[in-house]
Amino acid sequence: MRAATEPANPSVKSPTALPKADCARPRAVIEARQMIDPDTDLVQRAGQGDRAAAQALMARHLPKMLTLARRMMGSQAEAEDAVQDAFLKLWTHAARWEPGKAKFETWLYRVTMNKCYDRLRKRAPASLDEAVEVADPAPRADSLLEKAGLAEEIEAALQALPERQRAAIVLCHHQEMGNIEAAEVLGISVEALESLLARGRRTLRARLGHLKEE
Amino acid sequence: MGNTDQDKMWLESALGTLPTVPVPAGLERRILADFDAVAARRRASLLGRLRDAVWPGAPAWRPAFVFGAALVIGLMAGVLIPLEDGMAEGTEQTAAVSLDAPPAFEIGENS
Repeated sequence: MRAATEPANPSVKSPTALPKADCARPRAVIEARQMIDPDTDLVQRAGQGDRAAAQALMARHLPKMLTLARRMMGSQAEAEDAVQDAFLKLWTHAARWEPGKAKFETWLYRVTMNKCYDRLRKRAPASLDEAVEVADPAPRADSLLEKAGLAEEIEAALQALPERQRAAIVLCHHQEMGNIEAAEVLGISVEALESLLARGRRTLRARLGHLKEE
Repeated sequence: MGNTDQDKMWLESALGTLPTVPVPAGLERRILADFDAVAARRRASLLGRLRDAVWPGAPAWRPAFVFGAALVIGLMAGVLIPLEDGMAEGTEQTAAVSLDAPPAFEIGENS
């Protein structure tokens, strides 16, 4: 099984993995990005072994990454594992972080997303069957939240989407990310992202239309 | 177009009804433990590279012992070996060279 493409920045080993736009980006733009990226200093300090910096990075990004992974995986335990993997990658590469090549948060989103994809693809067929069952709006007894019909139905509809559409919907509508940044996270063009969004919205509208009318 | 915007707004509000995902303390601890492990591994590998550069393949105590012994021997030598008379404190050596004195040889003289 092929692992998801690794993201750009600390990719000192694979500079070809850099986003094409970055290669031709004028120096001034890179410097401006470096100046406005509030995480650069923390990442560099964490790379030097500064635990306080690592804690600060975690406090700043962990909730968003966990939410993203939870929406992608549909399972709290798997989401936690994916996020832990993503942070492990961050710690391993922090010393080689090159400011200005990519915005740190975008890179971290992308790593997290790739860890989710890896786990989704490794799921056994039995788990996939289970995932289909999750799409069934019938209430399950293992969670109080799932008994709250509305959230459960939305979550189930989200989980039933193909993973790329789900990723696009979660990034743009749930994480409130702009199209350009979301496209960068997913490693696709903005047009491709908009296409994913349109298809995802259409599917959700079809599945959840009855809620809209209520 | 209007419908699309309405769809977007509705979708955002629908997704907004999803419960927030709490961050368990256990996860924070696990992530920080990973950080500590990576930092310890990096420190160990830095020391290892330094040791290999100084004395490839040797156990860590050997270059440390040699360095310590050399330091002690150097310090002992500096403290215990007396200075030579010529360099002793209080004696100054001055070069007595007079620039206006005639040279001790004559040009063209066959020696």
